[in-house]
Amino acid sequence: MSKLIIKRILIMLPLLWLIATLTFFLLRVLPGGPFDAEKNLPPEIIANLKAKYHMDRTLPEQYYIYLQRVVKGDLGISYKYLDRSVNDILASALPVSLTLGIAALFLAIIIGVPLGIVAATKKGTAIDAMCIICSTLGVSLPSFVIGALLIFVFGIWLKLLPVALWESAWHVILPAFTLASGPTAYLARLTRSSVIDALSKDWVRTAQIKGEPYLQTVINHALRNALIPIITVLGPLSAILITGSFVVETIYAIPGMGRFFITAVSNRDYDLVIGTTLIFALLLIIANTIVDILYHILDPRITISD
Amino acid sequence: MMKNRTYLAKIAGCIIFILCLIAILSSFGFPFTPYAFDQTSEHILEAPSAQHLFGTDELGRDLLTRIIYGSQLSISIGFLTALIASIVGITYGAIAGFAGDRIDTFMMRGIDLFYALPDLLIMILVGIIIGRGTLGILLALGLVSWMGTARLVRAQFLTLKNEEFIEAARACGASSWTIITRHLLPNALSPVIVSLTFIIPSAILAESTLSFIGLGLSPPACSWGTLASEGWRALRTEPHLILWPSLFIFMVVLSFNLLGDTLADTMDPKTRV
Amino acid sequence: MLKNFCKSTPFLLIGLVLVMTNLANKQTPRFEANTLRINLGCEPPSLDWAKATDAASFDVVSNIMIGLTSYANDLSCRPACAESWQILDHGKHYIFHLRPNIRWSDGKPLTAYDFQYAWRRLLDPKTAAPYAFFLYDIENAFAYNQGKLKDANELGIRAINESTFEVRLSRPIAYFLYLTAFCPTYPQRQDIIERYSNNWTDPGHLVCNGPFILTKWQHEYKIELTANPSYYAAKPSLKTIKMFMIPEQSTAFALYENNQLDFIDNRSLPTSEIDRYRKSGCNEYRDIALLRVSYLGFNIEKKPFDNVKVRRALSLAIDRERVCRILRHGEKPIANLIPPPLLGHSDFSTEQSYNPKLARNLLAQAGYPEGKNFPQTFLLYPHREDTRLLVEVMQDELKRNLNIHVDLLNQEWQVYLQTLRNNTPPIYRYAWGADYPDPDTFMNLFTSHNGNNNTHWSNKTYDQLVSLAGCEANPVKRATLYKQADYLLCKQDVPIIPVNTAAQNMLIKPWVHGIIPNALDLQFFSSVGIGD
Repeated sequence: MSKLIIKRILIMLPLLWLIATLTFFLLRVLPGGPFDAEKNLPPEIIANLKAKYHMDRTLPEQYYIYLQRVVKGDLGISYKYLDRSVNDILASALPVSLTLGIAALFLAIIIGVPLGIVAATKKGTAIDAMCIICSTLGVSLPSFVIGALLIFVFGIWLKLLPVALWESAWHVILPAFTLASGPTAYLARLTRSSVIDALSKDWVRTAQIKGEPYLQTVINHALRNALIPIITVLGPLSAILITGSFVVETIYAIPGMGRFFITAVSNRDYDLVIGTTLIFALLLIIANTIVDILYHILDPRITISD
Repeated sequence: MMKNRTYLAKIAGCIIFILCLIAILSSFGFPFTPYAFDQTSEHILEAPSAQHLFGTDELGRDLLTRIIYGSQLSISIGFLTALIASIVGITYGAIAGFAGDRIDTFMMRGIDLFYALPDLLIMILVGIIIGRGTLGILLALGLVSWMGTARLVRAQFLTLKNEEFIEAARACGASSWTIITRHLLPNALSPVIVSLTFIIPSAILAESTLSFIGLGLSPPACSWGTLASEGWRALRTEPHLILWPSLFIFMVVLSFNLLGDTLADTMDPKTRV
Repeated sequence: MLKNFCKSTPFLLIGLVLVMTNLANKQTPRFEANTLRINLGCEPPSLDWAKATDAASFDVVSNIMIGLTSYANDLSCRPACAESWQILDHGKHYIFHLRPNIRWSDGKPLTAYDFQYAWRRLLDPKTAAPYAFFLYDIENAFAYNQGKLKDANELGIRAINESTFEVRLSRPIAYFLYLTAFCPTYPQRQDIIERYSNNWTDPGHLVCNGPFILTKWQHEYKIELTANPSYYAAKPSLKTIKMFMIPEQSTAFALYENNQLDFIDNRSLPTSEIDRYRKSGCNEYRDIALLRVSYLGFNIEKKPFDNVKVRRALSLAIDRERVCRILRHGEKPIANLIPPPLLGHSDFSTEQSYNPKLARNLLAQAGYPEGKNFPQTFLLYPHREDTRLLVEVMQDELKRNLNIHVDLLNQEWQVYLQTLRNNTPPIYRYAWGADYPDPDTFMNLFTSHNGNNNTHWSNKTYDQLVSLAGCEANPVKRATLYKQADYLLCKQDVPIIPVNTAAQNMLIKPWVHGIIPNALDLQFFSSVGIGD
């Protein structure tokens, strides 16, 4: 286990370095810079600004300066939010995004997995079809439309839940549902097929012949074995949650990290973009490592390559 | 036993077929509505009526016409993204899987890199650099959707490679190229086809998200995604602006998903998801 | 177990809904006592008023700070920190006398040295303040900001004593007083800035002299201001202002409808809702024309727009009234650059600005009868909600009236700015908002050396007129000069086609009193009250 973790860290470091480098240069390729504004500033002022942020140096020099800082754990400064460091900005936004993401993942599991089990046990019937359609509804509409619909129905029409903002636990419900819509469908589909698969196994049949109640069989044997593919999928799911977070955070006015992908890129806030990307990449890698460890615990027979 | 599912899949297949037909016919200039060649009128933001079945938009354009034209772009973006993803994915996966060892490990690290970079960032960067034409969007969507296919193909290759019939082919003196194209690929294709049916709908959805962000197609070109993102704020005052485009997105995405599910069920039970 | 769970699910769900309905029906009050809740739209990039340049930051700063002067409701300058001032040497020498009773929120008295420090800091190249150039007309300011002059004492900025502040200008600009009401010129505290350096704008550190103080700043989410007990003038009746940062219009609007915001403006109003409120005649709705002009610019070096006849033809072919009808934001058509009610604006008349027949004639004279052989060309515009509609109408107008087809090219905002400056497209869409209520802020744009003049148009007469008008003390003479320049720009040479002025649309809840909007779109809340 510890070997696995050490190995992961060893792979992670060059990967993060590659990501930082790639993003650094890709961003500089973009036309436009952080100091272009609707009201064009005089060249003298631009010169002052560039000097202040070391942007008058050559690109390799800037890259060197950046790397030096990152190694020390300093992700740089924001050009848009003056006088604020990227560490500072991300430190206040990350917990919010994590809360939202975990809430959504939780929702996806408690809705998607039961739907999948029911569909599998009633395979081929109308109930199966209903379950699959229900879970697919969530991935059949763009998330901004789902968000708008949820706000309209629950926030404005029924007045059951807060429309937006980030104040209490109630405020988490609608955004978490919006964010969970995609992963739920994914999980339901996966659970269904792995439970069907497991149910057709000999030992499940044996258990049934022995007179074990059907539901107990499903839970004790089929679901347990079906857990492995479900857990595998948690890694890619976190990626979906991350991509979805921008839309959801914007619609529900949530002060999370997702929105920096768009706003910071369009502001050409270089360091903030790289910082956000690095943190998200780190989260993904951690999620995948946890998945691998769970995998290992659930089924020690599986040896983990890389 | 599978009756219900196949029934659903048949309906889904019909819907997809009809929508594709509409898209193709309209691109050859088939006039579905009297407004096919007259996009502007003085009737701004009218609710659906006998004259304008789906209502009109802010510039007085017939929404039904716009949706029919939108189908061309939306559907072709879906298919082309899947095409790009499969070409890149199959090639990449085949090379990695066939070569194995060091090359394989190295290439898998490349995929890891792409997985670790958030999709959204890749799409934004490509969108900004290439610009907002169809090409930019295709590239952006293609770049984030090939990795799954590549992994699938590689996994298939790794297992198939050691099967007896490959050994046999090799013993007969077949070249690597022949082995890959004649023996390995055909046997690895079925999961790829299944995965394609999921790439298409997610590409259509991703395109609408791009429009929402502001990196979608540049007007006056329109797709269902741009129509939905232009209309969603008017949910309460002009619901038809958001209703119709979302309905079409909904139909096509749902159909593809159902079709894909059934394909996965029937084609090969080993290769689900 | 699963079976039981399945059976009980409907009951559980119903129970959950009941609980939630109960919670929701717990009659939430319509408003919070003495609290105004508004939407800033985005995070203010900086609350350091020497460095801020954007509306969100100014909205906060103008409620926590006052400068030498401040704007009255009609946008004239009235005394604020300065009790009175003298203008000497034909408008090149200003002496401000400060009020004796003004204190900072930490109790220290405000002195002329705070102004001297603030203005010097604004001009210091190390501060890298974007808006330093507003003070370039002060003696030696340009050289100092460029770093060519090191000694701050040589600047035309001086605190004569604790209560007297002196400014010397290198040319007698007529609009100088407006600059003293502009956020970047507000006083600053040297001791605070030096003690906390980059963190001095955090709540608890920031010291201010306006009606409110900054008490809470949750980044990307909310700013809270509370009444400043040591404010020199009448204490505001509001105790708290909550400024949320809600990026999405329709979300902010939904919050307003649910009584969670008390006052919203364009930042929070989807177009279709503006329309609905305006038509319903609801008394919550208000609008005001802004000093913001949107225009199409030509690159006059690119064919066929090097021909003045083509440019005039295009200008005459646009039905600005139809454009405004389609935009639905309360825009007003305009055919000149100076918007009303500024000095020197020209009245809009449809006959003079929309004449398709004459436009076709001009186009024919230029060699493109009925739009024949008109070269392929494109219009560049940035991706922003309102611009998309505008350019789509433009395309349609030109097609209908001149039978010419113009492609639309859309670029992401920053790319668009870059293209505009480095490789100006044949036609582009732009808008300019006034920094101060004076025609100079608009007319200066198209002088030959202005960095925002992307048209490549350069006209000596125009430059002269604008520079003369800028230093003219007599308002009547100024107006005439500006009108001449405006005619030259928009009717004669036509490097730009002004299309419309923007408007601010607002919804104000009935329990909010005393919101007085102004054309500069500065929002002051010191006189706002809450109650039925």
